Amino acid sequence: MADERLNAISRLLARQGILVAFVIFMIGFALLNDRFLAVDNVLGVVRSSAILGVMALGVTFVVISGNLDLSVGSMMSFSTIVVLDLHDKIGPGLAIPVMFAMTLALGGLIGLLVGYFRLNSLIVTLGMLSAIHGLTLTYSGGKNMDIADKAGTWFSFFGQGSVLGVPVPIILLLGLACLLSVLLAKTPFGRKVYAVGGNGVAATFSGIRRPRVVLMTYLISSFCVAVAGLLQASRSMGSQNTVGQGLELEVLAAIILGGASLLGGSGTVFKTLVGVLILGFIQNGLLLVGLEFYVQYVVTWLIIILAVWLDIAAKRGRLLSPIA
Amino acid sequence: MKFRTILAATTAIAVVSIAGSASAAEKMTIGITQNNVGVDSYQTTYEKAFIEAAEANPDVEAVVLDAGGDVARQIAQMEDLIQQKVDAIIIWPTNGKAVIPAVRKAQQAGIPVIVTNSNIAEEGHGFVKSFSGPDNITQGSRAAEIMCDKFKEMGIDKEARVVQISGQPGYTTAIERAKGFEDRLPEVCPDVTLVETQPGDWNREKSQKVMEAFLVKYDDIDGVYAGDDNMGVGALNAAKAAGREGIIFVGATNFAVGYEAMERGEYWGSIYQSPVDDAKAALKTAIDVLNGTEVPFLNYFDTPKITQDNMADFTKPVF
Repeated sequence: MADERLNAISRLLARQGILVAFVIFMIGFALLNDRFLAVDNVLGVVRSSAILGVMALGVTFVVISGNLDLSVGSMMSFSTIVVLDLHDKIGPGLAIPVMFAMTLALGGLIGLLVGYFRLNSLIVTLGMLSAIHGLTLTYSGGKNMDIADKAGTWFSFFGQGSVLGVPVPIILLLGLACLLSVLLAKTPFGRKVYAVGGNGVAATFSGIRRPRVVLMTYLISSFCVAVAGLLQASRSMGSQNTVGQGLELEVLAAIILGGASLLGGSGTVFKTLVGVLILGFIQNGLLLVGLEFYVQYVVTWLIIILAVWLDIAAKRGRLLSPIA
Repeated sequence: MKFRTILAATTAIAVVSIAGSASAAEKMTIGITQNNVGVDSYQTTYEKAFIEAAEANPDVEAVVLDAGGDVARQIAQMEDLIQQKVDAIIIWPTNGKAVIPAVRKAQQAGIPVIVTNSNIAEEGHGFVKSFSGPDNITQGSRAAEIMCDKFKEMGIDKEARVVQISGQPGYTTAIERAKGFEDRLPEVCPDVTLVETQPGDWNREKSQKVMEAFLVKYDDIDGVYAGDDNMGVGALNAAKAAGREGIIFVGATNFAVGYEAMERGEYWGSIYQSPVDDAKAALKTAIDVLNGTEVPFLNYFDTPKITQDNMADFTKPVF
């Protein structure tokens, strides 16, 4: 009887290892600083995680289909700079759709190269990381972009506004997460994404058009990047050319933290979201604890490795590798 | 031994003066290898100003290179410039230590080297004719004075609490500005407390995040010192979003965004450092060295204080 109940609990733990790790960290930080769980702080962390979070949602599709996307950081810089520049030239109402179109075009190009030309996604997106960075610098001439009249525009709504007390970035993040979660878990397209990532050859033989699915994943990823760029631009109303630099690795870290495999075929939108929140709360928690900043780099990544280990250990029911 | 040294010295002087007179007769070729043009507006404006100043001077032929932030590429560019036998080399170091061997090579080839904007590490100073750039320690201490004066004016210099958002850890500029500020603040305002310092990595978004955490952590913040205006404005955004008013923001390297925030009365002051002055000073130092004019080893250009009170005397930064 007791055994059965124990078994049930351990099965639950095994399925949700990363959630358990999340709860442990939250309790730890809350004990170290009493402001950590204050509503303001929690809302603040979720709000500033929204940019990373939205990007990670899109890249989740790419990763599940068995590919990588290292270009999202510089692509986000691109969309931020473009929308800020166009805001003053053609107004926000036109600037936003034009920026989305340009960002989707970049995503489409990557999707074509990886899907239809069957090039290695690591090489393609690594190349695009630098190429898009160069494109951004060419576009801006290396200058910072700023909206001239910051008070007289509704553009700040996306990054700074709130509806019924909830900040808009959080609403966008959660709304997009629900939408993409349904798309991934409940539709034929979602099953094709898993199939392509799980076994591409088998998927092809079952009549799934692999190139098309891959193209779609990169379009979804670049759409999310465009949303993130919009949030970023609207949050600070101005930007450096390097604003998204390094975010591609944080996005991947969040996705892996969520338990997706880089080999493809596994992962969910919800788990990615948990991974994003863990990253956000670790960074915020360490700041609140006031750790010396050189130490923060070390601790952040040690905690991430620890979380991944807890998750894997829970899955296989023991702490070390079965073969060790 | 002594005789040999004197001999070497006179030969060196002779070589320099021959080079000097030769280049005065024809044109002096000055090569520059920059750090990372395009990564921020400061460096972009610097390059433009440098090229303009060189073109405006009929005696100067400039070879303008950019290392793209890459140490290896900068070393290769130094070697190229040595091969081309330019008359002088200006270097904006990508890394204060790693470029020293290349600088030494240039010096051994008889080419005077001028360091611009951020100095190389001390062990390399022997191979360099002059450093032309801003004095970041003075900038930090001036920022402390700006903040302290404002606190005194407000009558809170006995209890004010300050947080600092510094530049990228490990960068000389970031370290020097922080040091200048931290050393000077207790001298001018001994009762003001610097409660915490965290890096904003020269990045507005990162600085905004850091400031959000500070605001959660401390109920009472009277002043923020940021290592540049980009970060200062990020911190200002965080304070505005949290509805915390009355905080005195002081930055450094006045950017257009900082200038505008000062116009709106939200941002108190900064240090005015013009990339145009920086570029012109570097070129002038190189020309002076080639003409044999006496140049101090640390050839700083002035970076004055700018606050809401005197900002009308300064034109808005173009970057």
